[in-house]
Amino acid sequence: MKSIFALLIFVSLLFSDATIEVIKKVDSLPSLAVEDSSIEYSDTFKLKFYKALIADLNVISIFNVDRHHRQVEFTQNRVDVANKDMNYVLRYSLSKGDNNALFVKIKLLQNDKEVLYKRYKIGRDNVYMFISHAIAYDINEFMGMPSVEWMKRKVIFSRIIAPMKSEIVISDYTLAYQHIAVKGGFNIFPKWANKRQNSFYYTSLDGKKPTLKYVDISRGVSRSLMSSDGMMICSDVSEDGRKLLLTEAPDGQPDIYIYDTVTHNSKRVTKYSGIDVNGQFMGDDSIVFVSNRMGYPNIFSKTIDGSDVKQMVFYGKSNAACSSNGEYIVYKSRESSNAFLKNTFNLHLISTKTNFIRRLTAVGVNEFPRFSRDSDAILFIKNYKGQSSIGIIRVNHNKNYLFPLKYGKVQSMDW
Amino acid sequence: MKSIVFSSVAAALLIFSGCSTKKPAVDEKESQTKVQEVAPVQTETISSENSSVTGYSNGNSISGSGHKTISELEEELTSVYFDFDKFSIRSNMQSTLSTDASIVKSEASNYSVKLEGNCDEWGSDEYNFALGLKRAQSVKKALIAEGVTPSSITMVSYGESNPICHEKTQECWSKSRRVDFKLLP
Repeated sequence: MKSIFALLIFVSLLFSDATIEVIKKVDSLPSLAVEDSSIEYSDTFKLKFYKALIADLNVISIFNVDRHHRQVEFTQNRVDVANKDMNYVLRYSLSKGDNNALFVKIKLLQNDKEVLYKRYKIGRDNVYMFISHAIAYDINEFMGMPSVEWMKRKVIFSRIIAPMKSEIVISDYTLAYQHIAVKGGFNIFPKWANKRQNSFYYTSLDGKKPTLKYVDISRGVSRSLMSSDGMMICSDVSEDGRKLLLTEAPDGQPDIYIYDTVTHNSKRVTKYSGIDVNGQFMGDDSIVFVSNRMGYPNIFSKTIDGSDVKQMVFYGKSNAACSSNGEYIVYKSRESSNAFLKNTFNLHLISTKTNFIRRLTAVGVNEFPRFSRDSDAILFIKNYKGQSSIGIIRVNHNKNYLFPLKYGKVQSMDW
Repeated sequence: MKSIVFSSVAAALLIFSGCSTKKPAVDEKESQTKVQEVAPVQTETISSENSSVTGYSNGNSISGSGHKTISELEEELTSVYFDFDKFSIRSNMQSTLSTDASIVKSEASNYSVKLEGNCDEWGSDEYNFALGLKRAQSVKKALIAEGVTPSSITMVSYGESNPICHEKTQECWSKSRRVDFKLLP
């Protein structure tokens, strides 16, 4: 009896570790069909909304989503005959309000019974994708699954449109909504300044020296914070938004600094004659970062006040970028020095508490990983066959999704 | 030249009104069903971007004060090239650097020198920018060793963002692993 109990504990521990790859068969997921009851909008708009909703429902990864666009009257609870064998049917109706407002009502049906009903409203129908995200979020909540709060967050990224010319764009996680926040010049490495996502930092390379700038979106204020010869990048922002990890390079020597936005005090955290960059907070008093102190880029950690440096990754010849969240570190690793192979850079996930390594991507150049705050998802940049995309990895569902850019190349991003 | 466009929309976007569960009236009549099969959902490629970019100008012309203009002097300064993932000066670049240093000390002595480090397209992360910067630092040290005044030199890295060719070839990538010289008044 004791041994069975011990085995159960071992199995439950095993499956709570995100570095263990859990293969779920698609067929084992409950089926979900989506029925459209909209009357007022054009077929083009209806189909656009339908596709956005199907995409969101796929990304939450808890259903096997049917892709047939069926139009059914809203009020009755009987599902379309073609959907009678579905475990769930989501029915929605779009309607127009004043000044292009969009109203949406939904109901979730199970065995011809309504189990969820909700209504939504948004000021302009051209930002319909946010309602689609909200519907998927609410259905995920209703199903009792771990939160997909990250679905509602905004992504900020730098898009290279020509050599040394870029624009900083705010978007939803699917890139369906895009708003150019900074245009003109060469501006890179945007980073949200707080959880509310109402302000951000970025690096401007237009002046004599790289300059860190701060933009308060809600007040419409932009100001230069500081400059450094060579490099000035905001790599990470603390949970409370007060402290920044910066890569600065006075005298051309890139090192990591911590900056207090209230006291304006700055302190050097790493001291190495080579390259130390990409600092990421790991808890309150430690960081992980990228350094070439072993002759090639790899991932290390240290306490902010101490001097001892600990190697964190023991796999890969060139690990040049990382993101951390709690016990987990996701990092970019070069698979081959032959750039003509199709898999050159892949993302890997490790836990600081186990020795497991999980490879998260398979082909292309995969870089710039960024954890969601709850570690449930990882956003990353993928460049493959001349196409630049933002990808999302559902760590606990073993699924990846890509949202391609139509032009330009994503240089860096945050969410 | 640069304008910052603030999104008043962004804040409003996230204001949804999700209302509480409400039982709708039940209509017993037979439903009117329309079926249209859409293309298979490509969960690997969801494309819906529709933003556009407006053009802008980048006025950056400077005229020299000596016999040669800044652009003429910059053309005489030869870029320094590096090996893959390295920032040490190659032996075959030493003579190039000596020539560059003599131009900086003589004809271009009235200008500051901006060293621009660049990398190939192997990654847009901070490490690649740092690699470009370390290349610029190596050139700076070599210039100082040749007698150039340290305070006249500034450095910046553009990472992979300033390629001079776009072919997926070793030759093109090796051209991108370089430090360029720019002169500032």
